[in-house]
Amino acid sequence: MSVKVLLAITQAFALTMSVAFLVYVVVIVVPYLRRKPAPVGDPADFTWHFFVPCRDEQTVIRETVRYLRTTFRKAHVWVVDDDSDDRTARVVRMLWRRHGGYDPYLHLVPRVRPEARTGKGDALNAAYRALNDWMGPEAARDDVVVVVVDADGRPAPNCLEVCAADHLFGDEGIGAVQLDVWMSNVETPPPSRNPVGRWFGLKLAQLQDLEFRTAIAAIQTSRGFTGTISMGGNGQFTRLTALDSIAGPAEEPWRGSLLEDFELGVHLLTAGWRTGFTPDSHVAQEGLYSLRRFLVQRTRWGQGTMQCARYLRRIWDSPHVSTLGAAEMMYYLAQPWLQLLGSLLYPIPFILLVASTAGDPAQMWTWFTGGAWILFAIYGSFGLLPFLVWGPVYQLKCLRSKNILRGIGMGFAYAAYIYTFYVTSWRALFRLIRRRNGWAKTRRNTEHAAGAKVALDA
Amino acid sequence: MAVASAPNSGMARFPLVIALGALAAAGAAVVLAERFYRELEVRLAGAILDLITTSGVYVAPDRESVYFGLSSATPFGLRMTPECSSAFLLLPLLVVTMAMVYFRPANAKRLFFSLGISALVVVLVNQLRILTIVGLVHEYGTDEGYYWGHTLLGSMVSVLGGAVSLVLFVWLATRKKNA
Repeated sequence: MSVKVLLAITQAFALTMSVAFLVYVVVIVVPYLRRKPAPVGDPADFTWHFFVPCRDEQTVIRETVRYLRTTFRKAHVWVVDDDSDDRTARVVRMLWRRHGGYDPYLHLVPRVRPEARTGKGDALNAAYRALNDWMGPEAARDDVVVVVVDADGRPAPNCLEVCAADHLFGDEGIGAVQLDVWMSNVETPPPSRNPVGRWFGLKLAQLQDLEFRTAIAAIQTSRGFTGTISMGGNGQFTRLTALDSIAGPAEEPWRGSLLEDFELGVHLLTAGWRTGFTPDSHVAQEGLYSLRRFLVQRTRWGQGTMQCARYLRRIWDSPHVSTLGAAEMMYYLAQPWLQLLGSLLYPIPFILLVASTAGDPAQMWTWFTGGAWILFAIYGSFGLLPFLVWGPVYQLKCLRSKNILRGIGMGFAYAAYIYTFYVTSWRALFRLIRRRNGWAKTRRNTEHAAGAKVALDA
Repeated sequence: MAVASAPNSGMARFPLVIALGALAAAGAAVVLAERFYRELEVRLAGAILDLITTSGVYVAPDRESVYFGLSSATPFGLRMTPECSSAFLLLPLLVVTMAMVYFRPANAKRLFFSLGISALVVVLVNQLRILTIVGLVHEYGTDEGYYWGHTLLGSMVSVLGGAVSLVLFVWLATRKKNA
């Protein structure tokens, strides 16, 4: 096979991948922009149980429990202490003993090694079993909803009434609902002495907010049409009977991959449940300020997505998932692999270009100024536009600001942000090959990591 | 109570190995016979140009080239290089079809139909790209016409055509059957 043919093949795959992504973005942006708020329901129709998995969360858990208990007075809060090395459990016990009595709505689920620290899914399963024991075998389960919230999570006060709506848990076929995710610290710079570090940290948090509130929300909205709305790790609402239907005799509705939230969604969908997404309410969490921690987090997510490729057969075999839905999920699961492929294919023309330029700079300059620059402009635009578009969308729709220039700037920054995934996908692949499948819990902004790892492995 | 199993449709019994083998063979044929494919492309371009122009067309299949405007003051030839050919744009479609046939063999007939239509669109879009270049050369001369036709409009046609072909493929392959 000649070099020209090889180049033509790589070019064809690169063009198809770029065009496919461009089409995908156009398809998801339209329903996202056209969506209108939906009616709400009565939260009193349901019983709500918040599950808060914790591993060394003493810096954030106090405020989270206080917030949940004061905002949702009739909801139960189950804190799972995954054998924390810090005082997480002690903080929760102190909150439990208040005003000379005990808070009947606050529960601590203590876990001890070696059973503990085996993954977030196992921690949530422990809470599920504790809830079952607490409810007893005779309790009605149809109207019970379990809500997974991160230790720094702040579900919006309207989240229960939004999720109780007729089109969400009011519909008996809906097994789970995912809230929109916002970052709570988009206006709070990190406490760094270095002004560049402060600016960078704040921008990184803002970009995470942009990502979740625009691109991810748009993907989730469009999944309403394909019937494949996926679950996230924070602001994840699941009907207890839906969890029961997939828990099995071991009472383990959450499974062991690093993307246990996506995994849960797959099990629910293939069991015949429908899933919902609503941007009418949200859960706020802290955006990461540190690029290092961010890369660790995204490596874990990438690795989790790679692990979940094992569900492709299950998805395609399920009579409950349409061909369009299965194709959408396959496209999602293929993303880290496509990023790996892209990182190999996209540089090839540039390497050849550099080689040709080195060989005959004058001829290459003539070629470039003679029209090739247009090609660069076209392909550069197609490479950037699918990311750039979210900047102005975020500015106009989420921040209600008409500062389009800032929006375009955010769009460019978002493109750079997304390109870090090419790095994290490779890191994820190497971890996968080396069978490092531990739960790499990313440290919170408030956790000091001087000399310590930014992530904790199992 | 006995529950009768759902009757298998004809496509559910479609031999998976044959379907996948045929797709893989098609992919291999495209790569191995890419020069022959390019010859066919220039022959098709020549036939179309012969129909819609009056200034003379000549096809040189051995050079994968088509010449037009022979009786005009500015005769011009276009060579179908591997990068300009639609041959390799069929490969991603074949790969996706293989994956979807593998996972849901019952849809094989529909997927082959979708592949056929999308492949046809890919071929036609490349012909449209050639016609765009020819039209611009005819309108603005060889230098400027080729410059804009090959770099800007040709690329736009390729990208938009690729998008149409992909959307068609997904729509045809995944749309729900009428009750």
